[in-house]
Amino acid sequence: MKIKDLLENNHFTLINDGVVDAEINNVFASDLLSHVMGFANEDDCLITVLNNINVLGVASLLDFSGVIFSHGIKVNQAVIDKANELDIPLLSTKLTTAETVVMIHELGNNN
Amino acid sequence: MENYIKVHEIERNDIGNAGTVASLTKRELKKRGFSREFVKTITIGVYEAEINVVIHSYGGKATVEINDEIITITFEDVGPGIENIDNAMTEGFSTASKYAIENGFGAGMGLPNIKSVADEMSLESSKEGTTLIIKFHVKEDSYL
Repeated sequence: MKIKDLLENNHFTLINDGVVDAEINNVFASDLLSHVMGFANEDDCLITVLNNINVLGVASLLDFSGVIFSHGIKVNQAVIDKANELDIPLLSTKLTTAETVVMIHELGNNN
Repeated sequence: MENYIKVHEIERNDIGNAGTVASLTKRELKKRGFSREFVKTITIGVYEAEINVVIHSYGGKATVEINDEIITITFEDVGPGIENIDNAMTEGFSTASKYAIENGFGAGMGLPNIKSVADEMSLESSKEGTTLIIKFHVKEDSYL
């Protein structure tokens, strides 16, 4: 499944200029960067509420396909700017982190 | 390829630039044709060690050395040192500040993550500072 397939679902909104063609290998949900660094994999899509630019640093180092901010949090402009610079798509959803994981799993099964 | 040596200054609490050493090292490793898995392993080690200098020390530097046999990254900082290395090596143990935690760090996984990825690791610490050396051996399957 690609990031753009998620955008066909009205729970997800693209909030920057990132390329949405990237393939999602899997999802990884965490708000602790060392857990992300230690356990996430390449092409994962990260689900988090951690609203700062270090998330983009980690996303870039691990070549994530995208970052989804859950719980409808208002993402800092600095984060959006950094994501544009690094060409990482950022999505927003009002779903909780757990609901987001379940939703992507269901969408993945249908794609 | 030619041997590569690069020294990076790391500033205390400069969270906005944290990850620069890891990012530039990753770029150099990719340029040299190492496999994605090998590059990722090194990147994780460098990133965690770099973050440690940013959030725990008074500042320091990282020296990255790459040749055909081994990749060595030396982190040297100027204190305050690690009070108890055994504790610091324990998963989940953290002395991170509120500032670090607000920025997503301080899970107590930094040194354990480094130990799990590095082929060799040496850590010495006193109140004057900490020196961490991590090494990654280049093997046949380290290349694409």
